[in-house]
Amino acid sequence: MPKNKVVSLEEAVSHIESGMTVAVGGFLSQGDPLTLIHGLKEADVKDLTIISCTGGFRDRGVVELVKLGKVRKLIASHIGTTPDVVKAYHAGEIEVELRPQGTLAEQMRSGGAGLGGFLTPTGMGTVVAEGKEHIEVNGKTYLLEKALRADVALVRAHDGDTWGNLRYRGTASNYNPVCAACSDYTIAEVEYLYSPGEIAPESVQTPGLYVNAVVRADLSYLGIPLTQC
Amino acid sequence: MSETDIKNVIAARAAAELKDGQVINLGIGVPTLVANHVPAGVDVVIHSENGAVGVGPVPEVLCSDPDRGNAGGAPITLIPGGSYFDSATSFGMIRGGHVDMTFLGTLQVDGEGNIASYEIPGKLVAGMGGAMDLLAGAKIVTVVTEHCSKDGASKLVKKCTFPLTGAGEADVIITERALFRRYPEKGFFLEEVARGYGVDDIAACTDMDYVVSDTVKLDAYGSEV
Repeated sequence: MPKNKVVSLEEAVSHIESGMTVAVGGFLSQGDPLTLIHGLKEADVKDLTIISCTGGFRDRGVVELVKLGKVRKLIASHIGTTPDVVKAYHAGEIEVELRPQGTLAEQMRSGGAGLGGFLTPTGMGTVVAEGKEHIEVNGKTYLLEKALRADVALVRAHDGDTWGNLRYRGTASNYNPVCAACSDYTIAEVEYLYSPGEIAPESVQTPGLYVNAVVRADLSYLGIPLTQC
Repeated sequence: MSETDIKNVIAARAAAELKDGQVINLGIGVPTLVANHVPAGVDVVIHSENGAVGVGPVPEVLCSDPDRGNAGGAPITLIPGGSYFDSATSFGMIRGGHVDMTFLGTLQVDGEGNIASYEIPGKLVAGMGGAMDLLAGAKIVTVVTEHCSKDGASKLVKKCTFPLTGAGEADVIITERALFRRYPEKGFFLEEVARGYGVDDIAACTDMDYVVSDTVKLDAYGSEV
């Protein structure tokens, strides 16, 4: 039987220290690890660099950490749907680095896959290309984008087993698999917890080898009830 | 025309560009409306860049689900045969040329096909989201936009002054007044003029460089008068 990685919320977030880089899965509340974010709100940490595609949605998610002054820098793609993040940026409270959505995903994928980076056509001729190496392959020019890694990842899955095998639901996978892979220590919150073997092996989307700790999700943080439609 | 009418005129003409069997991506705003105007007999499959293909109708309110949403955060359903996947896979599809056509709105577009859609310096800081990847990867980029901004200035500009989302990526521009199509080495051609406008009206409200096609079609589309 593989190791049981289930821990309390407090124990899981105790791995996060001030100044760390934390990759947070989710996209506009779809798959946002709201239980772990709640745990991090209570923790005595600051100066975090957060990697999160949208910084939450409206007033929930990573934006809650921004409002508590725990975030020094946000690496994101689109923050227009979290107005308080935009406000914090304009007030000079946080640094924001914006990247194309696919580039951000691939930078994290590369970071988790042992690659130094990748060549992409995205952003050619735009501000994204400024200062980056241009490399020609078979007559087409690409930008060299470097890999991203984080100290800790916070992810959410609908189903998880005690070893950390994860299965997502709907569009909630989004950045969660690449966050889990590109971080030194990955914490997964799961809505339904299973014993190893209960999740069909071929339907596991993030194998447990990427996951260091499993926490039961507190569904009350989701805000909106899950439906059966 | 009301603002809703204008948006639907643009979306209806844009939908007429669709070809049976295409995989398409719709941006936020007017592009989303394209789905309501798909011509009879044309089957297209809608891709959502956050991680879904086969997006169906908007769900009933009580059936909306926080784990099933589109790139704007709105609830979605899937048609039979649709699927969900992670964002790295989704953008691999986009950059890999597996999305046939993308529709997006814009702040500015110019005669070289440059598109500036995500930032007004000093005003709007939203981020580019998936637009740069879509412009770089989709086979055909269709810009759907009102012809002029609220202050009456042409959104079809001589040269984009806002930060670019994509350089030389616009293939078709559709407004409530006209349709322009870009040909390699030749630039944009005015091919269609909507009801209520003439070729001279378009010239008067368009700063972008273009050529009037020899076969320009008048009264090509628009709301019935």
